[in-house]
Amino acid sequence: MDNEGPDSEQLLSGLEGSAGDSAVLRMRLGTELRRLREAAGITPDRAGFEIRASRSKISRLENGRVKLKNRDVTDLLVLYGVTDEAVRSKFLALVIRSNVPDWWGEYSDILPGWFENYLGLEAAAATIRSFEVQFVNGLFQTADYARAVTGLGRKTATDDEIERWVKLRLKRQELLTRPDPPNVWSVMDEAVLRRPVGDAAVMRAQYQHLIEIAELPHVTLQVIPFARGTHAGESGSFTVLRFEERDLPDIVYLEQLTNAFYLEQRSDVERYLEVVDEISGEALTPDETTRFIEQAARET
Amino acid sequence: MTSDEAHAPGAGGAGRRKKPPFDTTVANQARIYDYLLGGKDNYEVDRVATEAVLAIYPGLAFNAKANRAFLGRAVRFLAGEAGIRQFLDIGTGIPTAGNTHQIAQAVAPECRVVYVDYDPIVLAHARALLTSNEAGATEYVDADLRDTGTVLREAGQLLDFTKPVAITLLAILHAVPEADDPHAIVARLLDAVPPGSYLALSHIASDLLDVATRQGITGVSDRMIQQDFSFRAHDEVTRFFAGTALVPPGVVRVEEWRPEPGQDEAARSSLWAGIGRKR
Repeated sequence: MDNEGPDSEQLLSGLEGSAGDSAVLRMRLGTELRRLREAAGITPDRAGFEIRASRSKISRLENGRVKLKNRDVTDLLVLYGVTDEAVRSKFLALVIRSNVPDWWGEYSDILPGWFENYLGLEAAAATIRSFEVQFVNGLFQTADYARAVTGLGRKTATDDEIERWVKLRLKRQELLTRPDPPNVWSVMDEAVLRRPVGDAAVMRAQYQHLIEIAELPHVTLQVIPFARGTHAGESGSFTVLRFEERDLPDIVYLEQLTNAFYLEQRSDVERYLEVVDEISGEALTPDETTRFIEQAARET
Repeated sequence: MTSDEAHAPGAGGAGRRKKPPFDTTVANQARIYDYLLGGKDNYEVDRVATEAVLAIYPGLAFNAKANRAFLGRAVRFLAGEAGIRQFLDIGTGIPTAGNTHQIAQAVAPECRVVYVDYDPIVLAHARALLTSNEAGATEYVDADLRDTGTVLREAGQLLDFTKPVAITLLAILHAVPEADDPHAIVARLLDAVPPGSYLALSHIASDLLDVATRQGITGVSDRMIQQDFSFRAHDEVTRFFAGTALVPPGVVRVEEWRPEPGQDEAARSSLWAGIGRKR
């Protein structure tokens, strides 16, 4: 099979024209660095040594998880045999652009690092698939629902902090209305709809919002009703992020109370894909789901 | 012995289980096709089976690409020159770039497309990702193509069978063995649509592959892949078009059906393809 990527020149020219989300740019530049390293036959250890860092730093850098430094990239390009001055200066110009602060920088006081990573990945994803067992997906929450959920998890938070969390969540939702939005495909257990978060008015407004958002062409909602019995989702809630680039692996995001796991090993990811595929097949279709939510709204 | 029988011991004839359950322990043709096209919706078993076929017949990779490219040219022809606005796409497969409704609606936004598949995962993906623009419409039918009654009844919810329809059966009929009479199935589909409708079809060719290669592919298929795999010769493929007038150049290799500039000139597929207009 033909697995060859485009040459550097092509890839970089594509990037120059792109919308310029820092996180996306970091991932693409990282992918390009990996491709160049592999083409030059250089191990991550060797590359790490060259820039006074570990192999895991190289891996994070190639996955777009950390900011790129001009000096590191210059050294790596030399090591990888990229001598074309035009390509190098383009690359470095993109590195500078990739370091423009992300919009969530202003929330750094409340934002733990493990979640900041997620925001970058989410912004870069072409497809976001999730399975929810407890709460409505954050991208679909109304402000009141988000406020109620945030309050549950942070008993000691001040009202002001809670408001900032709610604002951050609503700001995240802007990715649904950006020009080239990701496909967001979310399957939720019926429990998500039945568990009251806030009062009945909050839930009714949330149902209405779900019904409206499901009409977006790039949004798919499915409910797996209690009546379908047990399902494949013994894992609890999770999210699978998929990127346009063929070289970038899918990432499974598992959020915990004080941390999050990011799974990238194909064998791990595939288990979660199996589960989400199977649940999607068992769940109500998108049309049936809308009717189901309408019914739930009438009963509330 | 077919792979289906291998997985449903004791079941035979009409009662044979045809619908694949969601099963990631055995390879599946939709996911193999996804893998060959560079998609990410495939599993370890699919990749292993694909690599096993590729080891015997490396041309499978080009077959997949050439078939996908034919879908593009065929649908552009149908929505363009032929003026078709209704499509019945049977054997949808896992969505990838350039799906039938996107190609058709790029030519004429009001096109309506019904996707038919019997694979629960294909259907879930199709419902999530194959969404129509506002002017047109898409619908999804969960049916085995052998069950033409269900296919036509369900498709009739969106399509108007008093007006011309394009039926596309791309790289799907090889999954229907002779015992299930694929020619009668296609004839029943064509019976339901009015004159001026079209049939577009591609099929793996028995007469473009040597015996050893065919036996090798069949062997892998029987051991590792959920669905059946039947090769057919040029005259058998041409016979699917009974009752239609073949659009030039007739039944040819899939990449030779009205090729567009920039196509890989050197590669040769082992798929026959054609488009016919119902008389």
